[in-house]
Amino acid sequence: MIRSSLSPPQVEVSQPSLGVDYVISAGPLDLVGLLSHAHHPAAGAVVLFSGEVRDHNKGREVAYLEYETYRPLAVKMIHEILAEAREKWGLRTAIAQHRIGRLSIGESAVVVITAAAHRREAYEANQHIIHRIKHEVPIWKCEYFSDGTHQWGNNCNC
Amino acid sequence: MRIHVYATLKDYFSPEFELEAVARNTDELKQRLLDINGQAGQLLDSCRFAVEDGFIDNQYKLKENDTVIIIPPSSGG
Repeated sequence: MIRSSLSPPQVEVSQPSLGVDYVISAGPLDLVGLLSHAHHPAAGAVVLFSGEVRDHNKGREVAYLEYETYRPLAVKMIHEILAEAREKWGLRTAIAQHRIGRLSIGESAVVVITAAAHRREAYEANQHIIHRIKHEVPIWKCEYFSDGTHQWGNNCNC
Repeated sequence: MRIHVYATLKDYFSPEFELEAVARNTDELKQRLLDINGQAGQLLDSCRFAVEDGFIDNQYKLKENDTVIIIPPSSGG
């Protein structure tokens, strides 16, 4: 693949009211606030997925997580994933936001919201979007365990 | 050429550093990185490379003033 030269203004922003950079957040995710952007008169189904920090992984006790990203590429890729899903499933709304920095147990690390005429499209699109964000977008998780050790995530449990 | 690495790559390299050696493409860059730390080979094989906000492959001609981002496998979500 030859280097693409899309710059942020050329990215199709799937939810203009939220701006371009909203997809990566250094602060807590406002799930209710984001959901308020999702409702649409032609959408009979709204699906919200929140990926949250659990207190264990593979038998080990997790104390907290840290996420980091390469923001310029992550922002562009998330908007492209949302735009493609909106086109493929005819979504009325497609929203995604990923947290970076230090997260405590129970906090939301990523939220994906999809709205469509019917639930099948909303569910399918939502799963597709979160799968691609987890596997393709340059965002990385580091798990900090209660025993004082830490480990960068390099694969997926899903 | 400026190099930025992320996540587990920081266990092998400084987060940001200047690469003095010549690397004309990503294969040569990978070799220069192995010259710095030979233990990173398996990880580097699974990494992608980017300049600014676009991925590059071995066809891309690296320039002296490029900042190259080395991207290990994603683990978001």
